[in-house]
Amino acid sequence: MTSQWSRCLSRRQLLQLLGCGGAMAGLGLPEQVFAQARKTTLVLGIDISDTITLDPARLAQYTSPMTVSAAYDSLVTMKPGAYIDVAPSLATKWTRTPDGKGWRFSLRDGVKFSTGNVMTVEDVKWSFDRVINLGDQPSQYIAHVDRVEIVDKSTIDIILKQPAEPLLSIIAAPEFVVLERKVAEAQGASAAKDAKTADKAAAWINGNSCGTGAYRIVAWERNQQIQLVRNEHYWGGKPPFERIVIRHISDGAAQTLAVRRGDIDAAFNLIPEQIASLKSEPNVRLAPLTSLDFVYMALTQEPEFNKALAVKEARQAIGYAIDYDGIKNAMLGGAALRPAHYLPIGVNGSTETIARQIGFRQDLDKAKELLAKAGFANGFEFEIIYGAAAVQGVTYQDLALKIQSDLGRIGIKANLRPLDQVNLRTEYTTGKAKGGVLTFWNPPAVENQLWASAVVNRVAKRVHWTPPEDVVKLVSQAATEPDQTKQAELWVEWQKHVIDVAHHFVLFQPVYQIAVRNTIKDFPLTAAGWMLDLHGVNPA
Amino acid sequence: MAHYLVSRLAMAAIMALLSTLVIFLLANTVPGDPVLSQLGDLAASNKEFVAEWRAKWGLDLPLWQRYLIFLERLAHGDLGISIASQRPVLRDIADFAPATIELASIAFLLSIAIGVPLGVLAAVRRDSWIDHVARLISLLGVSAPTFWLAFIVLALFYGGLQIAPGTGRIDTIALPPPSTTGLYLIDSALAGDWQLFRDALAHLILPSTVLAAATLGLITRTTRASMLDSLQQDFVRVARAKGLKERRIVVGHVLPNALIPVVTLGGLAYANLLTGAVMTETIFSWPGLGRYTFRSAVALDFPAIMGITLVVAVTYLFINLLVDISYALLDPRVVR
Repeated sequence: MTSQWSRCLSRRQLLQLLGCGGAMAGLGLPEQVFAQARKTTLVLGIDISDTITLDPARLAQYTSPMTVSAAYDSLVTMKPGAYIDVAPSLATKWTRTPDGKGWRFSLRDGVKFSTGNVMTVEDVKWSFDRVINLGDQPSQYIAHVDRVEIVDKSTIDIILKQPAEPLLSIIAAPEFVVLERKVAEAQGASAAKDAKTADKAAAWINGNSCGTGAYRIVAWERNQQIQLVRNEHYWGGKPPFERIVIRHISDGAAQTLAVRRGDIDAAFNLIPEQIASLKSEPNVRLAPLTSLDFVYMALTQEPEFNKALAVKEARQAIGYAIDYDGIKNAMLGGAALRPAHYLPIGVNGSTETIARQIGFRQDLDKAKELLAKAGFANGFEFEIIYGAAAVQGVTYQDLALKIQSDLGRIGIKANLRPLDQVNLRTEYTTGKAKGGVLTFWNPPAVENQLWASAVVNRVAKRVHWTPPEDVVKLVSQAATEPDQTKQAELWVEWQKHVIDVAHHFVLFQPVYQIAVRNTIKDFPLTAAGWMLDLHGVNPA
Repeated sequence: MAHYLVSRLAMAAIMALLSTLVIFLLANTVPGDPVLSQLGDLAASNKEFVAEWRAKWGLDLPLWQRYLIFLERLAHGDLGISIASQRPVLRDIADFAPATIELASIAFLLSIAIGVPLGVLAAVRRDSWIDHVARLISLLGVSAPTFWLAFIVLALFYGGLQIAPGTGRIDTIALPPPSTTGLYLIDSALAGDWQLFRDALAHLILPSTVLAAATLGLITRTTRASMLDSLQQDFVRVARAKGLKERRIVVGHVLPNALIPVVTLGGLAYANLLTGAVMTETIFSWPGLGRYTFRSAVALDFPAIMGITLVVAVTYLFINLLVDISYALLDPRVVR
């Protein structure tokens, strides 16, 4: 039978049968077809799965601000690396209003939207009103804004309910940008009091833009890519690229391959091993992005949850037992900083020197001493919860294991309890975490007060701590101090207080490594909240 | 036949509804608040804000009431708004389904086109080299973990040999075709853009091969076993005694009989490919339903979870129905 069968089907036919998969490959690839377009297009490879909106007034995610900041401008901005002062953008000058209750901005002359229409003071007011009246998350960061008033055709006032509260650094964020009112309204946008229900522009704004930025959003295919094209009317000169593609590549290994082959010009989500593999690549360089993000552990002080953690010295002992240098050097290959507390290095009052002087460091003798003082000379047990995620390629699981082993050296037993992100967040934000919580934070704008008030307000509640009056007062005192040197001193003073109570241990502040092809010359990465100044990217 | 169809359809509808109830109850046993995980830190600590958002998704209502609302909406063809994407679930599914359908269909075609002939050959030439090769292919296909296989083929064919394109549905700088069906192969062909068609097809090769691997193994093994079984039947002996050519016997008599279990398996395998491509979609950054399903589950996005459950249930039920109908066609005894 076998021989009969083999006669009726030759070896060649057999190979043909099996080869139908291979035949597809035989179609060939459109190899050089896109070569021309590649020269005038910037392609960024990044995981953008968190993007749920490109509407500035609704922004609350990590990666979307990059796109928004390319398409829109705010009144003031922040230059990469300079996170203490704001720089001019759509406003060229700003001073306090004569009555001291707000800020007065002089608008730049001749700024045009991507439609070619001139930006007016009405557009600016309308855009702020829309953020406020939509009442979405960004509105909370300018809750201290009372109203926006037009002074004349090139001057506008933002009047504050609490005049001393910081404003400039907050409105530098891409949530507070200027939209072309006429276009937005034609698409259903509203800035009226009932904007919450009346605004129907979300769908349009998610796939288009109406700003003054260097590029214009033309499409967002979800979990696939965001497409931008050059804004021919850009006030800052002709943008160098015809198109920008922000391509969703969720996997770091795939990003590594793509940047190596030149399918993308930059790769954003690489882990230490992938970064190391690119070091020998002649056409790719690694650009450091010193972020203002950090990973920390919060500790409760609720005695009902854990008697030992209710004692300050016991918490301090934990702070002195963690091997911070080991985390930074062995786990992150040195690509990190470590601030003293909740103010990342780079903002006023937080430098590496200050962190070394006032922050925790590993000192096991001191830790044991503190344990004895707390009445737990033989150690104690507590629980650490964390999510199934990773920062800079280091999983929370690995961090938790490292802390567990460090604490074991002074007799403290940490029980690890991994959780899904939803439960982790629920337990932590509702104050139900019974021990330590490993998590991450970055605020939407570079303003010390946002970090500091988080500590004394909501984060304090989560760890069941009632901050003393003077510590709370110190936050507003520092935030409203006009003299920057004095302000820095006040922030140091404040950090000392919150370090002493030992509820938060900042483990590291990531220095992300972005792989950039050498066909790109300027690649201005920023920690200000939008990762990359897209208008400043230039080809070699 | 008509009676058979109607009863099967009615059964399918009831099953689909029941599955949504089960998933609804299951999903709600998971503690945790999906709203809190969606909000920024400041908003998540603002009680009024959280309450407003919870009310927006009816999370403040009793369980039974929420399910009734789901049913009522469903009756109007509305699956509600996703908590994580803040868009209508139906819209999300409509956006993400074509990528998955395209990928799964190519993967399915690949596994049938290779698996069935391979299984037939392996059975007919039992214990020959071809049988051993077939066994090896099925073993590798079934046992190689998808994520591993995906990495290997990417690193080898895209990174190393540079003969295959990278992740995603089209080249990083290509523009998607005008959307008619959402299936890039069809849309680019309709637009007459053959360059894009080739690009989209080339992008399908690696992920569909990876996705097809496990199914291919199953289909090959099942075809082989079923063929062997049929080859032992009396009618084969009769056919041979009548002097029919071996090729005619195998293709005309044995294969149709042997295909019945393969059809069952193939149907389930296709449904499985359509609904279970999470790993492949993640590694190949494929904007499909698998990835959406995973993210919805992780975010405890109730409306999306319910919507997907319904889609998955309907997919399985529909394909099962097709399988049953094809049974009836292949084997008239089924209807009787």
